[in-house]
Amino acid sequence: MSQWAMVIDLDRCVGCHACAIACRAEWKVPVGEGYRRNWVKRLGPARTPYGMAFTFYPGLCNHCDTPVCTTVCPVDPEKREFKDPKTGKKTAIFIRATYKHPFTGVVLIDKERCIGCGACVEACPYGARYLNEELDEPKADKCTFCFERVTRGEEPACVKTCLARARIFGDLSDPNSEVSRLVKKAKRMVTKEVNLGPNVYWVGQEKDLYLLMQQAPKERTWENV
Amino acid sequence: MKRRDFLKFSGAVCAALASLSLDSKFVKTVSASTMRKDLPGSLGAEEIPSVCDMCFWRCPIVAKVKDGQVVKIEGNPRSPANGTAICARGNAGIQFLYDKDRLKYPLKRAGARGEGKWVRISWDEALDEIAYNIKKVKEKYGPHALAFFDHGSSAAFFREIFEALGTENFSNEPAFFQCVGPNLLAYLYTLGYQAVDPAKVDMAEAKVIILFGSHLGENVQVSLVKSMVEGLAQGAKLIVVDPRFSVAAGKADIWLPIRPGTDLALLLAWINYVIQHDLYDREFVQNHTYGFEKLKKAVQKYSLSWAAEICDLPEEDIRKAIDLLARHRPHVCIHPGRHSAWYGSQDVNRHRAMAILTGLLGTVGVKGGFYFPTEPPLEKVSFLAGEHEEIEPPETSLKDDYPFAELFHGSPTAEIIKATRTGEPYPIKLWGVCGVNVIQTIPNPYQTMEAIKKLDFIFCVDILPTESVLWADIVLPDATYLERYDGFYVGKETRCYVALRQPAVKPLFESRPAYEIAKDLAKRLGLKPRYERVEDWLEAQLKPSGHSLKELKKTGLFTYPAKPYRSREELSFNTDSGKFEFYSEAFADEDLPPLPEPDFAPAPPKGYARLLYGRVPVHTFAKTMNNVWLHFEWPENHLWVNDEVAKRLGLKTGDEVILENQDGYRSERPVKIFVTPGIRPDAVYLPHGFGSRSPMLKTAYGHGVSDTFLVTHYEQDPFMGASSHRNNFVRFIKDGKVLSIPELRPVPKELSRFEIRKRV
Repeated sequence: MSQWAMVIDLDRCVGCHACAIACRAEWKVPVGEGYRRNWVKRLGPARTPYGMAFTFYPGLCNHCDTPVCTTVCPVDPEKREFKDPKTGKKTAIFIRATYKHPFTGVVLIDKERCIGCGACVEACPYGARYLNEELDEPKADKCTFCFERVTRGEEPACVKTCLARARIFGDLSDPNSEVSRLVKKAKRMVTKEVNLGPNVYWVGQEKDLYLLMQQAPKERTWENV
Repeated sequence: MKRRDFLKFSGAVCAALASLSLDSKFVKTVSASTMRKDLPGSLGAEEIPSVCDMCFWRCPIVAKVKDGQVVKIEGNPRSPANGTAICARGNAGIQFLYDKDRLKYPLKRAGARGEGKWVRISWDEALDEIAYNIKKVKEKYGPHALAFFDHGSSAAFFREIFEALGTENFSNEPAFFQCVGPNLLAYLYTLGYQAVDPAKVDMAEAKVIILFGSHLGENVQVSLVKSMVEGLAQGAKLIVVDPRFSVAAGKADIWLPIRPGTDLALLLAWINYVIQHDLYDREFVQNHTYGFEKLKKAVQKYSLSWAAEICDLPEEDIRKAIDLLARHRPHVCIHPGRHSAWYGSQDVNRHRAMAILTGLLGTVGVKGGFYFPTEPPLEKVSFLAGEHEEIEPPETSLKDDYPFAELFHGSPTAEIIKATRTGEPYPIKLWGVCGVNVIQTIPNPYQTMEAIKKLDFIFCVDILPTESVLWADIVLPDATYLERYDGFYVGKETRCYVALRQPAVKPLFESRPAYEIAKDLAKRLGLKPRYERVEDWLEAQLKPSGHSLKELKKTGLFTYPAKPYRSREELSFNTDSGKFEFYSEAFADEDLPPLPEPDFAPAPPKGYARLLYGRVPVHTFAKTMNNVWLHFEWPENHLWVNDEVAKRLGLKTGDEVILENQDGYRSERPVKIFVTPGIRPDAVYLPHGFGSRSPMLKTAYGHGVSDTFLVTHYEQDPFMGASSHRNNFVRFIKDGKVLSIPELRPVPKELSRFEIRKRV
């Protein structure tokens, strides 16, 4: 089974926000407080044990190995058939309105079945989901690693527009992929309180990763849902 | 040499880097035939290649159109400059096109100037009125009573009209006299070409890069940022000279937080050090330069320790930096920067010193160094037909005090505003303004507004109702870059291209492309546009290239061979001496310093910090703050305050203060402060362009604080009359009390102190 993943190189990232706007344009994310599929947060300039640092938290859904957002979904599971975009192989599994794709590991939302309750939005410790209340019937929304584009041979919108080539997207099941090479020295946003097996990684100077890791969640948000 | 014609700003670009594309093994791709417009996102859209205009860098783009609407903008993969990449602003071009606040119809003023009260009129009425007023003013006061302020793509056509009308004030680009002028002049007179269009440094191939105050990364010129990032990824070392810990400083090996305004001390000491320690390129200096012995003698007394005290930097760090640069010559990039109208008298010579260091290190025409521009195979075809008489200068010209101002199209902006306000040396009674928000751009907007009040007539061509537009008697709605053709954009980097801007959709409302507006105005003034159709004008320019407009409409651009590098045998310089000029006879002839000499900005008055400004990566000038997507990312500016200063004043991040400058002008509202160790204690930093005062810009209005309204003091450089921006100082007002900025760094005796004038 594949696991799609992204590595963000903070040595390259200049914090230009192109990724955030490209995503908003591609997926018509409305403007509104908290309405984003990805984001760029400025960190610093601040002193760290490794020297003065000024970096960014370019964030998005982590497409976790054990996504708590899918387990809190109250919609009744239904059986659905999925196809491996790489091999064409098929399988059928029971899913709620939000689920982890069995062949790519991407966490997706079935917009037809989403009831807009917001439980998954509350559950995500990274704040990577939002409830789109601009719609006639509110629906949860989030990063899909541009599943629709990637399965048609396009890059994710944020990757394609990145002028620093700071976002490297690929498949962790392929040991020769660039992401597989890079994750060996990369950091994930995990703490002893919160470790759901995220699949977004960051590389960069020690001082930058120090600031970044201060953004890692410590609260087990899903337990209150 | 003084009248040397240099090419106008055009396109963008630098090191072209192949963009990532997905491995074909990664997924099974679907065939093109299944691409339909009802596919999700921008998939299946019609693709129209064009050129961005969200900033002046102008990256080649592809506009994606579904059902007559632009749904996405991406970089043109054919572009050697940016490939598929574009910045946040480029991506947000859609919200510029569909901005609800756009100017929709020609308007005629119905209230007082500045009030923004208008009535809708027809295009014929608007153009008749403008033509009538131009003729009337020209007849009554002579041609020089007409002045045109311009920036950007649309302005070129109107500039020709004003030139044909015979005014010496036919193009007053704040881009020159507030921005790049001193830099441009310095490099032109050192190595014979201007270095800013684009910055001709081959950073992708460099071993060491040095930035002087340039905040690439926050200032997003896509091809330059790409080039810098690739260079760093390949292991280039980075030195950043900046009072502020910029994004680039965050990636630097050496950060030199220099005392603002003392760069010349650092540069002179480095020049001397390189000569004294025999670290310079002897072959280059011997065979290709002019005035080395004079330079050597002039700088011999400037030591690193002298510079260390003036610049308030550790001597060890400045030695490390110059050793690093010298050790890796010639593959080092001394970035020329861009905006250089900083302090006034020192500006040209500061950039001359940077150019001189470039020559000493022999990094000219080499890979990973300073490269030569390559001109495109295009024919220059004017918009207007027929030869126009050379402009007859007035008895007293606005350029008289500035021997090198005549290199530029127009007159020093500050002189035009002065003449408009005072009627001296001659009256200026009509302004045309196109694509530039003069009130949020030029120092002392209070004087600018006072000048506008004195005019008989002012018209604006623009897309949004900026504060400058509010002052217009007639407003003409221009089409956006996604709705019009413009002249070609030329990327003259280490890989070159010519790109076409073409409409992706039809102009909205009653807006019209600038070409069409200018054509109709020209005819009313008895001038003859060369071509009725803009396409014919473009086709005529393509003749020498062997490419057709039809082809470019499909591809968006063609590339042409670049020759950025030169062997030593091939080196020649387009200067008076034919050499790289350390010593400038042309400057000496005008009694201006032929060699850079110590010239430092005065220290802040007691109780004040120097006001520094710059860009944020999601905004251009004061132009994009009304864009709903960009506004959402960055709605307002915050004032950077040094942490030690904040501690002494009892301030923390998020606190709000009113800013009061040395002339007693206060910010229009409080600004939130951001406390950081990343700025010197004697300066504060306020990102530029915020604090819109036009209530018609409903998204931008009332957010943040305008730096320009606090830049009320300026000094003009003696070469070209550019107006400086950085001799302004602020203190804080909180809860009605004045907070004086403590002086935490001692001011050495070499520096004077800024004297506060009598309060306004």
